[in-house]
Amino acid sequence: MTTMMDRPASAPGHSAPKKALIERLNIFTAFGLGIIGAIVFWYIAKAILPANTAGSYIKSNRDQWVLLAMIGWLIGFMTGIGAFIGPFRWLLGKDLSHEENLFYAGKDLGVKRYFRYTTDHKVVGIQYLVTTMVVFFVGGVLAMLIRTNLGHAGGGWLQPQTYNAIVGMHGIIMIVATIIMVTGPFGNFIMPIMIGARDMAFPRLNALSLWLIIAAIPCILSSIFLGGIPTGWVAYNPLASQGPPGQDGYIMFICIFALSTMVAGANITTTVIKMRAKGMTWNRTPIFIYGVVASVALALPAFPFFFLSQVLSAMDRATGSTFYDVRGGGSGWLYENLFWIMGHPEVYVILIPAVAALMEMAPVFTRRPLFSFNMAIMGIAGISGLSVLVWAHHMYTTGWAPLLNGPFMLTTELISIPTGLLFLVLIGTLWRGRLWMTMPTASIYALLWNFMIGGVTGIYLSDVPIDGALHGSMFVTAHFHYTLMGAGLTGAVASLVYWFPKMTGRMFDKTLSWIGFWFVQIGFNIAFIGMFLVGLAGQPRRVGSYAALFDQGNMITTGGAYLIMAGMLVFLYGVISSWTHGAKAPMNPWFAKTLEWTVPNPVPLENFDVLPVVTSDAYGYGKAQS
Amino acid sequence: MSDLETQKRPSVFERKDVKQTVYLWVIFTAIIGYVAATVQARSMGAAASETMSTTIHMIRVFTWVVAPVAGLIAAMAATTLISKMHFGDTPPDEADHQIRNSPRATSTWLIVSSLLCLFAVVWGTIVLQRDNAAVLDLAAMNVNVTGQQWVWNFDYVDNGTVRSADLYLPVNKPVVFHVTSKDVIHSFWIVQMGIKIDANPGYVTETSVTPNKIGIYDIRCAELCGLYHAFMQTKVHVVSQADYAAWIKSQGGHA
Amino acid sequence: MSVETHGHVNPHHEHPDVVGSRNRLGLILLLVADIAFALGVIFVYFYLKGQNVNDMWLPKASDTQDATVPVSSMGAWYVTFIAAIGLLFHQYALAGVKLKNQTQLVLGSGLAFLASLVALIYQGILMNNASFTITMGAYASCYYLIAGLNVVHLFLTSFISLGNWNRSRLGLYVSDHWHVRIVSVWWTWMTISSLLGAFALSFT
Repeated sequence: MTTMMDRPASAPGHSAPKKALIERLNIFTAFGLGIIGAIVFWYIAKAILPANTAGSYIKSNRDQWVLLAMIGWLIGFMTGIGAFIGPFRWLLGKDLSHEENLFYAGKDLGVKRYFRYTTDHKVVGIQYLVTTMVVFFVGGVLAMLIRTNLGHAGGGWLQPQTYNAIVGMHGIIMIVATIIMVTGPFGNFIMPIMIGARDMAFPRLNALSLWLIIAAIPCILSSIFLGGIPTGWVAYNPLASQGPPGQDGYIMFICIFALSTMVAGANITTTVIKMRAKGMTWNRTPIFIYGVVASVALALPAFPFFFLSQVLSAMDRATGSTFYDVRGGGSGWLYENLFWIMGHPEVYVILIPAVAALMEMAPVFTRRPLFSFNMAIMGIAGISGLSVLVWAHHMYTTGWAPLLNGPFMLTTELISIPTGLLFLVLIGTLWRGRLWMTMPTASIYALLWNFMIGGVTGIYLSDVPIDGALHGSMFVTAHFHYTLMGAGLTGAVASLVYWFPKMTGRMFDKTLSWIGFWFVQIGFNIAFIGMFLVGLAGQPRRVGSYAALFDQGNMITTGGAYLIMAGMLVFLYGVISSWTHGAKAPMNPWFAKTLEWTVPNPVPLENFDVLPVVTSDAYGYGKAQS
Repeated sequence: MSDLETQKRPSVFERKDVKQTVYLWVIFTAIIGYVAATVQARSMGAAASETMSTTIHMIRVFTWVVAPVAGLIAAMAATTLISKMHFGDTPPDEADHQIRNSPRATSTWLIVSSLLCLFAVVWGTIVLQRDNAAVLDLAAMNVNVTGQQWVWNFDYVDNGTVRSADLYLPVNKPVVFHVTSKDVIHSFWIVQMGIKIDANPGYVTETSVTPNKIGIYDIRCAELCGLYHAFMQTKVHVVSQADYAAWIKSQGGHA
Repeated sequence: MSVETHGHVNPHHEHPDVVGSRNRLGLILLLVADIAFALGVIFVYFYLKGQNVNDMWLPKASDTQDATVPVSSMGAWYVTFIAAIGLLFHQYALAGVKLKNQTQLVLGSGLAFLASLVALIYQGILMNNASFTITMGAYASCYYLIAGLNVVHLFLTSFISLGNWNRSRLGLYVSDHWHVRIVSVWWTWMTISSLLGAFALSFT
């Protein structure tokens, strides 16, 4: 990835003797200033804030200190990476010059550009990819701790406090990882090339969204040392208000992450609407683009509610307000509503781009046109539209509004219709195609299988009386792992294998991709079918130990989990070894027709020398019939 | 439904791949429906109330209703897989057609999925109405349920000031639970009776059930409620009317 | 941003109108998120008011604490009023730049900046002078939440309108003025959001 160095420098102007500020900033100054900011804010908070007085319910000094220190961290970090340079240059009326913009884009910086506020969408894509894998790794380790704890009769190897903390951390880390796993790496690296653009609409916002996530990660990791998140990933109040300062890490993590998704959502949507190549009408826009836009556009109205829910939580903890405390007129149902107004669109934010990516691959690997492009769009649009109206199906059993259970059951079950269209498109594309057996092709099969199970169990759960029996049990946990992991993550890993040649210039090792695939898929189905069984038998979620009745099912699940781990480690090894030693990839290894395969490896700085003009859609496979 | 083509050849059902798909469809539907329905019903165990019996029944029926859809997708996927696999670093020949759409297949699919959805909604609504009406039953006995970290307490308000940590219920008598919490959110779940309602601080929520089998069943907390959430469980003893009256007396209440 | 305002020879130079319309769409999409947030705040207010859990929306006097007396919503309406005046000043500046009247542009954007500062300071005074603290019941919590949202919005507005005034002064809007138009979109929404807050506070 360093061949940018080979290209002749066209702008020798920036070799001035005095280095400009932006040339000095990188990830190290960011972490340095971030830590300094945290320490300074911590001591200022300790010195200035009065000791906690009696009379307020939840407020505590340690939460004030921790929250302020994390705000100090954020300000320091973003200053240190150079995020504020742009706005202040705008304020002062000194807009960036062309050379400076090229420097920001990482021109002639070689490998260094991966460690600074680089605006080139391809660099951001790679940064997102590595970030996502790191986050998945942490979440995966936590998952294995959970399964190990539950893997012998009765469970209970870990202390309850530790176990609860791990469950919450695993949950929220994986949710965030799955949210960014497709739109982050592939939405940034591949999407602009696919639509024939030179970069994103707002390259600096692109870098901002990435570095906000990187600033957020230490917040959640610091929770480990601050008592963890013993509240599950939902962090329901008032339980969360009892939580240790680790909850503050959760709060800051979510707030920063919500800002990041907001910025990324506006950026990606604008790029697609305004910057498609000449001739790329909506009919000729690849389906993956629809998936990415639906996902990020859905996040725009949804995530502010998550942000708000955590702002209120932080206020309760740090200022003594009583939004969630019933003793002061607050309400736990308020939190649940705010949370799930975000929470249900969010699962489609995760799912849609992964399914759309597999739809994009389906014609390539079956050598026939995508079946029913219009239905694919209708499916995506229908899911996105309905998903904002279904949040209270997470709250059937809360009792907050029993009369609304009926209407919410209706909207929830209506979602099965557009979801069915996604199946129609995929199976219609497989039918009468030639199957080029690669790991992504097998992933389409895996998606059909896993998503069918996840979808059908979703129909059970959407039924209020059945939910009365199954809500809060391991059945629900298994259900959403089938959708988010069995469908979502499967699509994301297939995307990695599929676009790896374009992103790294090397082929993903075929054997390793197959070994990883089988380990993960077999392990996955063993693990979560076992979990369905204990859920049906009545094991609640998030318990660290359980009755003897559930021993067998939990053993099965833990066994399956270890297979998943083996497969994931194979994938990880595959990524590292292929990236460093893999076979050089040709420009278009899959003989596909989308625009990203028309640019050379490695992709040059502004993607296209001459912007392409599109004259047909990308699915013109198959022989015309005589 | 097995036909995704627009062509008007009369021989569609005589084509080899279509025939194979139809056979596989029947086989897969039978296997999926039987295995999934049986395994699920068996895992859920014996029901201790009408509510739970209905739930198990609904899951069984939903599974059988969905089985043909899952079976069709599996059959089509399997047929393609069996006949058209190609390994190697170069792509196979292009497919011998350029079919991009099939209004017939698409509309069939939409209609069938809409009907299935309608079925699920209507049935679910009917059962839901029954459950909602049961909460309003004035003849039912009332039990106040209070959750706190990490125990349940039951107050038999119709029988004086009786409080217990294990729940006692007379068989075949409707009971309405008035559920609340002293600290954080808990969820009151009688596993074998298939009912669940959250215990919220500051609010009273209600649910109801009619136990129909004498025995001892499980109550578990279904909402993460802190350190000992896993241990926040107790038993419900469903006893005969006479035994219940005797137990209430022994606790100092009046029948 | 791929904005090129200094006329360098650049093969990828884009027309200011293209860049402007792209930026406007970007801002509107960001506003979708901010609107969702503001509506969420209003939802919190009316939800807690409607629930009135434990009768603690407006707690009555107790041994340890006075009763919470809601403040008049007029303060919040004044903030909205000042914001609206700022918006008018900004529209005046926008009209100026369209007429290529540099004096009107600088004057209008300068006055708009002053209006945002006045509103910000006034909002601060209001929060300071409230007769209750944030711990005194759900209404008090919500009051400070709405006021806090105003403070954040007004702070951003001050930053933006200061930059806008400065850039007007430096003559950067002579060739193209899409920045000024976009800032007016923000001003409009900021005024509406303040109005929403004042509207909510009118119901105690």
